[in-house]
Amino acid sequence: MRDIPGLPSRRGFLKASAATAAIAGIAVPAKAEQKPEPVALTEYKPDCLKPSEWVFVMAAVARLIPSDGDGPGAIETRVPVFIDKQLAGDYGKASDWYMVGPYQPAASPLRGWQTPLSPLEIYQQAIPLFDDWCKTTHGKIFAELDAETQDKALTSLQKDEMKIKPELREFFGILLANTKEGYFSDPMYGGNHGMAAWKYIGFPGARGSYKEWVGKHNVKYPLGPVSISGERG
Amino acid sequence: MARTEKKKDVVLVGFGWTGAIMGIELANEGLEVLALERGHDQATVPDFQYPNMIDELKYGIRYGMMEKPANTTVTIRRSLDEEALPYRSLGTFLLGTGVGGAGTHWNGLNWRPMQSEYRLKSYVTEKFGAGVMTEDMTIQDYPMTYEELEPHFDRFEKVAGISGTAGNINGKIVEGGNPFEAPRSDEYPMPAMPSTWDGVKFRDAAKAAGYHPFPSPGGIASKDYKNEYNMQMGPCNHCGFCERYGCYNYSKSSPQTAIIDALKRKKNFEYRVNSEVLRVEKSTDGKTVTGVTYFDHKTGEEVFQPADLVILTAFALNNVHLMLVSGIGQPYDPNTNEGVVGRNYAYQITGGYTLFFKDENFNPFIGTGANGFCIDDFGIDNIDFAKEGFVGGAYWRAGQTNGQPGHTMPLPAGTPSWGAGWKKGIGEWYGHAMNIGAHGSVMSYRGHYLDLDPTYKDRHGRPMLRMTYNWHPNEIRQTQFMKQKMEPVAKSMNPTTLQEGFKKEGAMFDVRPYQTTHNTGGTVTGDDPKTSVLNRYLQSWDCHNLFVMGANTFPQNTQYNPTGMVGGLAYWAAHHIRKDYLPNPRALV
Amino acid sequence: MKKLIRVLGVLVVLGIIALLAFIFVPVQRTGPVTQLAADFKPAKGQGEYVMRAGDCMACHTNEGGKPFAGGRAIQSPMGTIWTTNITPDKETGIGNWSLDDFRAALYDGVAPNGTHLYPAMPYENYRKLTEEDVVALYDYFMHEVQPVSNKVEETKLSFPFNMRFGLRAWNWLAASYQAGFKPEEGQDEQFNRGKYLVEGAAHCAACHSPRTLFMSQDGIDSSSKAFLTGGEIDGYTAPDLRGPESGPQKWTTEQTAAYLATARNAHSSATGEMMLVVRDSLQYLTHEDNMAIATYLKKIGTAPADASAAAAKPEVTETEKLLTDAKADMPLGPRLYLDNCAACHIVNGKGAGETFPELDGNSLVTAKSPKGLISVILHGAELPSTADRPMKLRMQGYDQRLSDEEVAALATFLRQGWHNKAPSVSAAQVKAVREAATH
Repeated sequence: MRDIPGLPSRRGFLKASAATAAIAGIAVPAKAEQKPEPVALTEYKPDCLKPSEWVFVMAAVARLIPSDGDGPGAIETRVPVFIDKQLAGDYGKASDWYMVGPYQPAASPLRGWQTPLSPLEIYQQAIPLFDDWCKTTHGKIFAELDAETQDKALTSLQKDEMKIKPELREFFGILLANTKEGYFSDPMYGGNHGMAAWKYIGFPGARGSYKEWVGKHNVKYPLGPVSISGERG
Repeated sequence: MARTEKKKDVVLVGFGWTGAIMGIELANEGLEVLALERGHDQATVPDFQYPNMIDELKYGIRYGMMEKPANTTVTIRRSLDEEALPYRSLGTFLLGTGVGGAGTHWNGLNWRPMQSEYRLKSYVTEKFGAGVMTEDMTIQDYPMTYEELEPHFDRFEKVAGISGTAGNINGKIVEGGNPFEAPRSDEYPMPAMPSTWDGVKFRDAAKAAGYHPFPSPGGIASKDYKNEYNMQMGPCNHCGFCERYGCYNYSKSSPQTAIIDALKRKKNFEYRVNSEVLRVEKSTDGKTVTGVTYFDHKTGEEVFQPADLVILTAFALNNVHLMLVSGIGQPYDPNTNEGVVGRNYAYQITGGYTLFFKDENFNPFIGTGANGFCIDDFGIDNIDFAKEGFVGGAYWRAGQTNGQPGHTMPLPAGTPSWGAGWKKGIGEWYGHAMNIGAHGSVMSYRGHYLDLDPTYKDRHGRPMLRMTYNWHPNEIRQTQFMKQKMEPVAKSMNPTTLQEGFKKEGAMFDVRPYQTTHNTGGTVTGDDPKTSVLNRYLQSWDCHNLFVMGANTFPQNTQYNPTGMVGGLAYWAAHHIRKDYLPNPRALV
Repeated sequence: MKKLIRVLGVLVVLGIIALLAFIFVPVQRTGPVTQLAADFKPAKGQGEYVMRAGDCMACHTNEGGKPFAGGRAIQSPMGTIWTTNITPDKETGIGNWSLDDFRAALYDGVAPNGTHLYPAMPYENYRKLTEEDVVALYDYFMHEVQPVSNKVEETKLSFPFNMRFGLRAWNWLAASYQAGFKPEEGQDEQFNRGKYLVEGAAHCAACHSPRTLFMSQDGIDSSSKAFLTGGEIDGYTAPDLRGPESGPQKWTTEQTAAYLATARNAHSSATGEMMLVVRDSLQYLTHEDNMAIATYLKKIGTAPADASAAAAKPEVTETEKLLTDAKADMPLGPRLYLDNCAACHIVNGKGAGETFPELDGNSLVTAKSPKGLISVILHGAELPSTADRPMKLRMQGYDQRLSDEEVAALATFLRQGWHNKAPSVSAAQVKAVREAATH
């Protein structure tokens, strides 16, 4: 296929045509960027949460996964950023779900999501109600309570002592679920900063390659995680 | 009707496992075959490629590979007098979509039912007396025998690429395999996969208890492999992302690894994606079908696709829904116990023990969907129904499938669900727990069925499929029996602590936690048109040029994961369509 | 760049010589090498088969264009070479060509009007075609190919490359041997069939042979020592096919034949240019012909010193140990291998059967030029669907996940891991390949 001396062969154009066409669709969209340290949580501009909601989420996740003790907390792993981004996207809008009435929000919880509200709407409506309840019961909005009282308030919320209306019944459940999701998900979603949660429990993340380890029984796997974008820990 | 397409010999509704099998078998006969797939096209690379696929949030938690309930879902109620409510967000079962269907995101566990399961009603009646069945139980025999199906099971296992250890070859019991399995004519096409530590611990404990452990049979390649269509698989690396994920490693059996590229080479085969079949069209006399009407999501129009032969190859629930909305066959009425379409819907009952070992390392992220060891000592063939007071059985398995922390984080009872205690708990227990599961049969009952919902409609204005289902006392007794038998085995392993998770008396069907996607029945196969929709060749009793594949053909659910049976039945039906039906199209029975 | 200047120099000198020659020597057209019977008719399908073996379609069909209607652009630093329309259209194709005209193009690189073809057309090799195959091919193009009216843009290279007569002198060097095929005496039919295909239609030497000082293929048959000992195309290495470490010598003939027919075998898979050759040409050859090629290649090469011992060694390399231990402090190269490659290619670098190619001893990995390896890491690879192996196995690219430095560290590790011993790769080399793909 070599032609006139020194001229590139068919290769020259095939690179831009057939060969490229064959593999054009298979590039990895995950960016391998040299990560600068992200903006501090206090400086973060939420995509969808209003300031009062952001303050609540920051305070609540700090109690759901506290920073003291072994392992990172929700704040160091930037879980609030994850929650804000999720609520701003398809999940927050319940885009994938069947959201057509009639609704029976008071049906047995075993029957799944039956509220007409999306997750974002539940956060938006439940946070002020819960803050009011905290004010009435404990004297201050949630974020302003001390840690011990915050834990008490969250326990009350979990046990539904405030008798929240059925449309908002899922609030504590999704708040906790989203917090854990943010803690454990790939860092590209905004949480699990530095893969700290994976390192803490010993999950190797997106390595997905253990053929040589299947037969190593009862031996702790030693290598740290890798993220989808290629970040190594 | 905006558009009518050129007539095809065969139209397949859905392009998953059974669509691909029918596609290649009938295209090999020289027929013009068209597969209509409601979802998108997808291939290993780019759609399942590393590393993007192994994203727990996107696929494991937000269910990125599944059909969105916004597009298609069902309504569910637990009894005839309850109002059905939509299954609005995914939980207990996960409906797939796109090319390859659920065959892309399954765990890979592949089984043939036990011998008694093909003639369950006769077996139960002859051996224990009809009295062991509850009054509302509507189980029945398959209209074909295991011996008739065996070559087709064998073929499917070789096409799909199943790894396992045979336990019974032509009646000869083979050491290391499942001694209770129905006799197979040949070995599995690949040797069994190696097991992780949890499976090996269970194997040893089961053996010590006098049971008969064997490696889990699965559609996960233990070596490089090539099937009869010269399609290839590569050995699995135990990445721990099977269920809910497409395999990026060409290691999990799927229509993509087993059939599709070979099928795409055939000029007489075509598939169209984003083409959602709305109904099967009947001829004026109602004795045949003329084709299907589908919604073309690219052009936004309805299309009539004429065909000589229509084969429903969608997921079980969709096949039943199509039969109901197309008005083919009499819908089942639980009050009169008459009618057939929607009858004998069943599911799967699971339970198990979680064992925690403070000082042992399981590396739970090393796993496959079909990992570990199983026993069949409490399989349906091995239980005295008269003595134990239920009909059914279960296989047990220990073998970690994944260590994805967002949805697989077993913690000892009493660990707080949040706060400092939870964080301490995950640090202490991640990687130090294992599970033994019982995967049990579910019988069919008069009150468990599928029909059309009177209230909720899908995006095309069709009534949604309504599921009426709850846990039946017979299955609760079965699962409690498994608990009682499993407890001493679990305890013999001396865990630091352990906890059980079996359904108890009065348990109500909960749609929230994932259970299984083994939805069966609704268009069952049988000998009698009064109690079945399809004859023994999976041919509609009503319209002879309509065949229906899938787990919807099961008269009741077996104790196993359904794919092996679904694949075997598809090859069985394909064989009879090719050899008996095509030369002389007619009702074969 | 250096090379380019050298080439330019060579061409300018040739151009001057040829200009003089052109004045004195009329254009020569080679006649038939065999007188065929007047009623000779090629067997059905023979012409198409020769077309496949010669891979005519690859160059003479534009992406998305009608078969053989030409118009495919070959980019070169001196301008674009447009491939010609070889359909039997009388206006824009070769419909008016006689058999002699056609033969002259294949053998001498000369068009009916006497102009010289650019040797993108491998007439150096096609010159070996038998008269039977020439006639069959002519018959195919005249009667089986649909005429397509497609006026192809004229190739206009910059001076002095637009002086086509310059090629005449080059032709005296490159294509002056006796036309037609001479079987090698003392060799069997299979060998000679392989020889005919390799040296003739399949024009393997165009890529796999080194070039002479004048950039012609170094040897046109196995009597030349350099023949098929590896070449270079646009900076990519076309591997040696004759040395003891080369694929055709290490593999069984069945494995080599499988590679040619399916782009994959138990050891390796075809990427880049070779993948396209399999996709467009070799997969259409009969099993017997691919076996003949493999047999011929094996016979003209040097067998590995101790093939059986090499195959039997089940030793665990230091590289495999390092990867298996998975220690947190491992160097970047092996760490990247575990994070990106080991899932398929496995810690022993052996891959798996026909599905995942082995990297230990792989000629692409250890090639003189690392360009091919870098390109696969960045952009991935795809195997063609063939009759024997329909699966389009693909590897995803890592251009978004890995930086230039990381690709360099990974490629260096691959080139020096297990039994491989090839020079390191620099980030600058990676950068160059990455940038070349974007334009």
